[in-house]
Amino acid sequence: MAVAALAAARPTDPSEASLLGRTSPLVKLVVATAWLIGMALTLDPGPPAVLAAMALLAGPAFGAVRTRRIVAWMAPLWVAALGLGLFNALFAAANADPAAVEAFRLGPVRVTGPALAAGLALGLRVLAIASVSGLFVLTTSPTRLADALVQQAHFSPRFAYGALAAYQAVPRLADDLADLRAARRVRGLRGGWHPRIFLGLLVLAIRHADRLALAMDARAFGTGPRSAYRPIHAGWRDAAVLAAGLGLPALTLVTGGTLGP
Amino acid sequence: MIRARGLGWRYAGRPRPALRDVDLDLDDGACLLVAGPSGSGKSTLALAIAGLVPHEFAGAWSGELVVGGRDVVRTPRIDLAALAGIVFQESSAQLVMELVEDDVAFGLENRGWERAAMRRRVAGALAEAGIAGAARRRGVTLSGGEQQRLALAGVLAPLPRLLVLDEPTSNLDPAGGAAFYERLARLREGPDPPTIVLIEHRVDLALPLADRLLALDAEGRPLAAGPARATFAAGAERLAAAGIWTPGEAGRRAAWPGPEGAPVGEEGVPLVAATGLGHRYGDGPPALTGVSLEIRAGERVALVGANGSGKSTLARLVAGLLAASQGTVRLDGNDPARLPAARLARRAGYVFQDPAVQFLSSRVGDELRVGLRTSAERARADDLLAALDLARPDLADASPYTLSGGEQRRLSVACALVRDPAILVLDEPTYGQDRAHFEVLVRLLRERVAAGTALLAATHDLLFAGEVTGRAIGLRAGRIDFDGPTAALLSDGARRAELALT
Repeated sequence: MAVAALAAARPTDPSEASLLGRTSPLVKLVVATAWLIGMALTLDPGPPAVLAAMALLAGPAFGAVRTRRIVAWMAPLWVAALGLGLFNALFAAANADPAAVEAFRLGPVRVTGPALAAGLALGLRVLAIASVSGLFVLTTSPTRLADALVQQAHFSPRFAYGALAAYQAVPRLADDLADLRAARRVRGLRGGWHPRIFLGLLVLAIRHADRLALAMDARAFGTGPRSAYRPIHAGWRDAAVLAAGLGLPALTLVTGGTLGP
Repeated sequence: MIRARGLGWRYAGRPRPALRDVDLDLDDGACLLVAGPSGSGKSTLALAIAGLVPHEFAGAWSGELVVGGRDVVRTPRIDLAALAGIVFQESSAQLVMELVEDDVAFGLENRGWERAAMRRRVAGALAEAGIAGAARRRGVTLSGGEQQRLALAGVLAPLPRLLVLDEPTSNLDPAGGAAFYERLARLREGPDPPTIVLIEHRVDLALPLADRLLALDAEGRPLAAGPARATFAAGAERLAAAGIWTPGEAGRRAAWPGPEGAPVGEEGVPLVAATGLGHRYGDGPPALTGVSLEIRAGERVALVGANGSGKSTLARLVAGLLAASQGTVRLDGNDPARLPAARLARRAGYVFQDPAVQFLSSRVGDELRVGLRTSAERARADDLLAALDLARPDLADASPYTLSGGEQRRLSVACALVRDPAILVLDEPTYGQDRAHFEVLVRLLRERVAAGTALLAATHDLLFAGEVTGRAIGLRAGRIDFDGPTAALLSDGARRAELALT
């Protein structure tokens, strides 16, 4: 009984008890967007490397996200980043330029310095984008995002909570898809992705959305001004995350720029 | 609390009214049971009493409806929403927020409640619905029965004076349904109980609560109205003839002994043989563990057990729609999951709980012919369509999705039978079916059994199990807990309780 009570009292999402978990999702969104825009303004491999490292360290340090979860979530993206970087380094046009300095040779392929730098920059960018968005997703519960969009950014509740309800129907859509495919098989039709399956999926999704909308309306949704069960107040956390999130990378880059060669 | 005079409603684009000429008077704190066959306008009446018709739908209104002293047509919906709450049939289509307590608070936020008052009331509503321990869980991880009590908590939270329940337990196993009604009964014990309007085809569950009865016919007209028990007693035959279940009926019907000379032999190769069969979805907990069983040609088997006990998983493994992660299953000597689709379809037919997933064509007239190659098969398709009253010219060009619930179910059964499979596997075949459609389905399945088709039906419906099957397999937490004659299971109260069947 005590164990059940404890389990029931534990926050479902461990990120709720952390600095980043409690920061307004909008602040995180602003910081993440600023990071990615700043990174896009330069071709230097430095900024993406700094951002990726910061995002990966901030998760466990300030977001109560376990390293294992980060790895499970991002490993495919890391592989993609590595592959993309390597591909660009190996097959860059600069490799054919006899004037370019040769970095190394891989069998018949001559990899030049500029090609290596371009591949590295590209791979690091993908890595940074993946790490920054991963940090946002892993420290933000969908409910808090919807609450923040409505309370702080004054989005329409119909949009924000409608999207939240739809998000919860995603596992159901996956089940429907499995059913639609199974139904074809047991009627003697070959597998694969027949367009008819998507029509069926659309019919089921619309029917579900219809019922959900009716249930929401029946609970007085959209009839007047709403109050908030989980109010989101801007506080010192938001200020600290905003200052650190925008200030630290700027500082690193400035000092890195002046101390560098 | 409710007063209706000549109430009628026709949805825009429909030729006939869904509801007509309804007169109704219901006192404060009373409970009204609404009964009727499918298409009789029960749900439309529920939506009107809850203030959603006419405000959220397009159509033509007639007559007068006054709820809590307010004229439904003239009152803004916000005031009607404050008065009445409605629980729908499908539990998963009522989850809005991610966490249970947030979902209960949703209706309070919409009405602008203060935060402290919300916190107190959310805890109270969760306790009234009997799911206080689940406050911090994610709604999607609850069982169907818990989700439905969550929906009840969400509707109870704003303290409505009127509670409308539209077949709230039809998705639940019998134990989950009983738990839901137990909470309703407790609500009525309070000093100032809410008025309840209840649509329920499991009459025996609902009758202990009901003070009044309103029976509607297939045209949406009132058929009988009055004190619940007396009205049922006086008009049992007439109500039954109109397709309405009457009290005590489930207990009175004897189990079907099976076709004469039923081909249930002890010798010969079994049609289905499972050894140590188990399955888990992804890296979740095992859904099915160590199941060994044999089903012989022509045998008729009910698969029973609580929600989540593994019934559908076992049914899918047998029909080759799922590959076992443990043990083996053989259908006619082959691994059904590896059989090419065309060969699988001749051995197994599968009827899904939701008929809509099964349709492959845009015309009812073409639906059964999809993928058929021989003229003999096409002839059988036409015969089936005619036998199930689906060959009418007005239906031929209609989309299967636009059929009524009963017609969709008949068409989905026909889809599964068109290749004359050796075994017909059904998942909750009587779900959403009224009495008349139940009878049609039972007759059809009995004919198939007499013709030698084996049946495996996953079902919560014990009446159906008794009417069609001879053997019952009870699953509990993914393991076989009972395997014996259906009649023996139905008469064993302790065993039924163990399997969540009472």
